[in-house]
This record gives sequence, structure tokens and C-alpha cells, in this order.
Amino acid sequence: MDQLLNVLVIGLLLGGVYGLVSVGLNLIFGTVRIVNFAQGELVMFGMYGGYYAYNILGLSPYLSVFLVAPAVGLLGVLIQRLVIQPLHNESNMQIFATFGLLMMFQNIMLAVTRGEARSVGGDFGAQVIELGDIKVGTVRLLTFVITTAITIALHFWLTRTMVGKSVRAVTQDKRAARAMGINVEKTFLMTFGIGSALAGLAGVMLTPIYSITPGVGGNFILAAFAVVVLGGLGSVWGAYLGGLIVGVVEAFAGYYIDPALRHAIWFLIFLAVLIIRPAGLLGQVGAEEVGFREQN
Amino acid sequence: MNKTDLAGAPGARPPVVRPEDSGLQSAGTALWRYLGLMALAALPLLLLAKDPYWLNIIAFTYLMGGLASAWNIIGGFGGQFSLGHGVFFGIGAYVTAIATARYGLSPWLVMVPAALLASLVAMLISWPTFRLKGPFFAIATMAFNEVAFVLANHFDSFTGGPRGIMIPFKAGFANMIFRERWQYAVLMFVFVALVVGITVCLRRSRLGYYLLAVREDEDAARASGINVLSVKLQGMALSAFLTAIGGTLFTMYLRFIDPPSLFTLQDVGVKFALLSLIGGVGTIAGPLLGAALIVPFENFLRAELADALPGMNLAILGLLMVLAALFMKRGVVGAVEDLVRKIRSRRGGR
Repeated sequence: MDQLLNVLVIGLLLGGVYGLVSVGLNLIFGTVRIVNFAQGELVMFGMYGGYYAYNILGLSPYLSVFLVAPAVGLLGVLIQRLVIQPLHNESNMQIFATFGLLMMFQNIMLAVTRGEARSVGGDFGAQVIELGDIKVGTVRLLTFVITTAITIALHFWLTRTMVGKSVRAVTQDKRAARAMGINVEKTFLMTFGIGSALAGLAGVMLTPIYSITPGVGGNFILAAFAVVVLGGLGSVWGAYLGGLIVGVVEAFAGYYIDPALRHAIWFLIFLAVLIIRPAGLLGQVGAEEVGFREQN
Repeated sequence: MNKTDLAGAPGARPPVVRPEDSGLQSAGTALWRYLGLMALAALPLLLLAKDPYWLNIIAFTYLMGGLASAWNIIGGFGGQFSLGHGVFFGIGAYVTAIATARYGLSPWLVMVPAALLASLVAMLISWPTFRLKGPFFAIATMAFNEVAFVLANHFDSFTGGPRGIMIPFKAGFANMIFRERWQYAVLMFVFVALVVGITVCLRRSRLGYYLLAVREDEDAARASGINVLSVKLQGMALSAFLTAIGGTLFTMYLRFIDPPSLFTLQDVGVKFALLSLIGGVGTIAGPLLGAALIVPFENFLRAELADALPGMNLAILGLLMVLAALFMKRGVVGAVEDLVRKIRSRRGGR
């Protein structure tokens, strides 16, 4: 029973990590309908940003995040403006171009770091809180809390503020949104920037737990896509819930079946969702087609 | 813009039928064009037959050209942007490696059954994923590729796991192992000639037209009485079949396979798409042209940069992908066509 609970807690905390990584992707993929394969690399940049800030400036990740996340967000804005926007009607070319970005970013970092893994040393990652027999890593718990906070903030931003509402309006019908006086291009730019900044934030937050390599983004991107598709495109709570489910399933599969096979579990979830309910758990039915049909 | 070019079209190709598409090409013209293309492709092999360094590059160029052409059947003509062709490539490679290294069978015997298996797997995994459109399809196929990677690593009693499988050197035609590089290059040339030949026939066949129709507008194709799913499945099965044969040849050429060499996205699954797109997606010569440009270029970059700056060669390739997507959407073939049309219209023709 304790073991079961332990695995569950590990899974939930892992889910927090996935949720954090997915939240930005979901905003971009779900709202702007852009498949950004380079999203994992933005997380990677966030991690390196956190690493260098810690080693050179001596800043704790929880401080440097205020520096790194906006920087990654700015990079996202540049990507949107220079690469995505010119390809706004061509989803296959977007896949191609963002995959090119993925290769570029990953290998530039490989050249810069010469492929050595880095990590933010010592005290952060190791701290543990004990609740009875269950051990909880402080950083992971904090990540979970941050994920929850961001999800709530994003929810209110999208539903309560004028800007957030305009983002949703653009998702639903670009032409009508434009007729209502919304600047569609600006909204896209902003959404992409925020989504990228969230990826950067996720990266910084993960520096104490994960070792940093140029290829680390690849570990996250497929999980993030699985989470987004499972939870439902464009649904903020869907990404949160999807992250938790993927985390828990992965933890259980890793514990009871084989750790090496846990990545295959993503795919099973993925496939099941695609066959049974392509809109995802909390997504609007048909949401997977909206935006690909009437882009203008 | 209407919706037709959004769901399935491979990016840049405008949905309008261009003048040169509208007329049917006669079988004779197609045959001569095919022979001309193949003669051109054979030229480097004839010129550089004595240089082992270049022969290696040429053999790889043929192999990749054939694989990209195989991808082009479903990715280009069918407009289904698969990033998971590594799965079929891997099936061809693993079945061949296991059968030859462990059971001493001839790769010639194994090749076709392995390819049929790949076709079967392709149909099984495509059946649910073909419900997905555009980027969703691409992501799902990419997921299949990653799973194949994990499974190949995991079931090491079968695949050798991360240690891979080594095929002992026993030269001889029956073993598909040759002493001379040029023999491999000829083998790869036969492969690419076969795949491109099949593509030429396909382009003129009923299935070929159906695939184009599905790419341009799935709903309209369905309304015209085309069984969309069946057409996509047939295209995918054929594409997977040829990809698996490429996997067999790859295995017998290198005589060593391991999961990274078969399932690394940027070297395999995405590479097929990359070559097609650079050359000209949905055209017959495009994938071959893409391979002819990129494979030697990549070799050059690797030789020049890999020691000084690890990964820089791939970074440049990535940059090339971005630039091609932005500025050369119809690939080299498209750029040449545009140029030809411009010259013609300046002369007052057309």
C-alpha cells in the first residue's frame, strides 16, 4: 500500500513536470495551431539559461527565471515573426521549418558545450520532505505547485481578461475576430511569445532535477505532445490533467512493468486518445479540425 | 484561399492545376524522361568508379534517393506527411540482419518477406493514424518512430538491443556482400532505378491519380467516389514496402545496425522528407535531386566541421531546412520550373 502510494506520488510529481513543459506548447499548439517541434529546445535553452545564471551570476533558478523566461519568450517572438508567420497557411512547411530549428538549436548547443552534460550542483535537487513513509523531493513538489499556479493564472487570463478573450476569439474564428477589431497577427505574436516564455520557465525550473544536455528537449517534446493531445487542444486544464495522467501512468508502468518501456506508454496513451477521442479529454469535440480548415 | 490546400497539401504546391499538369503525358515521353533521368543519375558512378571515397558517397546518395522517392509516394503524392518511415526502414533492416546473422539465410530471400511485413505493419499503424490530418498525422507517425526506437532497445534478445547486430563478412553475391565498393554502388543504383520506375508508373496509374486527388482535397475526392482510406493505405503500404527494401540494402552495406542508426529522426525518418522537400515534393525527380545535393554536402560538412565543432554539420542542415521551407517551397524542381516559365513568357511564348 505504501509502495502504491509512493509510486502514485512520484507519478503525480512527474505529472507536474510534464504539465509544466506542456502548458506552453498547449497554448501555442492549441491556440495558434502551430506545431512547434522546437518547443523542447526552448525548454533546453531555459535549462542552460538557468545553469549559466547559477554558475556565472550565482543566481538561484528561482531568481534567474525572471531573466531567462522573458529572454526565451523574446526568442519565441522572433521565431514566430521570422519563420512561422510567413508559413501561416502551410502546416507541413511549419513542421519542416520548426524541425529545422530543432536541429539547429540542439546542435548549436552541442557545438558550444561540446556535448558535456551539465547540472546545477548540490543542495537544491537533493532536499527531501518526508511525510510518513512517503518521500517527496522539495524541488519536485515546488514544480508541482508552480505548474498548478501557472495553470490557474492562465485559466483566468484566457477567460477573464480582454487580451485572453481575444486569444480565444482568434482561435475560434480568425475572420470574425478580425472583424471585431482584433489584431490577429499581434495576438499570434503575443501568444507565441508567452508560450515560449513558459517553455523557458519550465526549463529553469527543471535545472535542479534534470541534468542538462543539448538533446534534453527531445525527452520532453513527445511527452508534451502526448499530454496536449490527451488533455485536449487549447484546454488549459486539459494540459494539467493530461500531464498528471501521463506522469502517473509512466510511474506505474516504470515500477510494475519495466522502466525502459515507460516511453512506449506515452505512445499507447497517444494512440488510444487518437482512436477513441481525437479531441482529447477536455477539448472541444472537433477542436482538432478547427483552425486547420479555415485559416485565413 | 479556400480550405483545400490546408489539410493535406504538402505545403507550397498551389492547388490550381498548372498548364503542364493538365495534359496527359504519353507513355513514350514518360519512358524517355525516366531513361534520361537514370542516365544522368548513373553518370557520377561511371565517372568516379575508381575512387572509393566518392563511391561510398555515391552509393549512399542512390540509397537515400531511393528511400526519399519511396517516402514521396505517400508523403508527396498522397500528401500524408509521415515522419515515421524509420519504422519500416527498421523492420527491413532488423529482419534482414537477424535472418542473415543468426540463421544464415540469404538477404535476397529475406528481402521481400521483410518488405511485406513492413507493409502489413504500415497498414496496421496507419489505419488509426489516417484519421488525423496535417500536423497531427506527422506527430503521431513520429511517436511510432520513437516507440520503435524504445522497443528495439528493449527487446535485446531479439534485436541485440543497444549493442546492435553485426553481420559477418562473407563475400558473395548470394550473401549480398561484395568486396568492391562499386558493386554496392551498382546495387544501390538498381534500387533507386526500381523505386523511381515504380513512381513513374504509379504517377500514371489510377492509384496515382487517386493519391493526388486525396492530397488536393479529401472531401472532394470522397465525393467523387474515391475510397480515401483505402487509397491512403495502399499508398502507405507501397511506400513502406520500398522503404523496407532500402532497409535491407542499408544493413547489407554497413553490415552493422543498432537502434540509433535506424531510428534517429534527423538521420532517417525526417531525412527522407527533407530530401524530397529540398528536391521538390510530389515530383518524380525531386527526391533524387534532393539526395544528390544533400548527401554529398552533408558528407563534406561532416568531414570539414565534425572535429572542430561537433554537431555543426547538423546545425547547418537544420538552417537549410528552415530556409528551404521559407524560400524554396517547391524545392529545386519547382524553382527550375518557375525559371523556365519566366524565360518562356519573356520570349513571348505561352
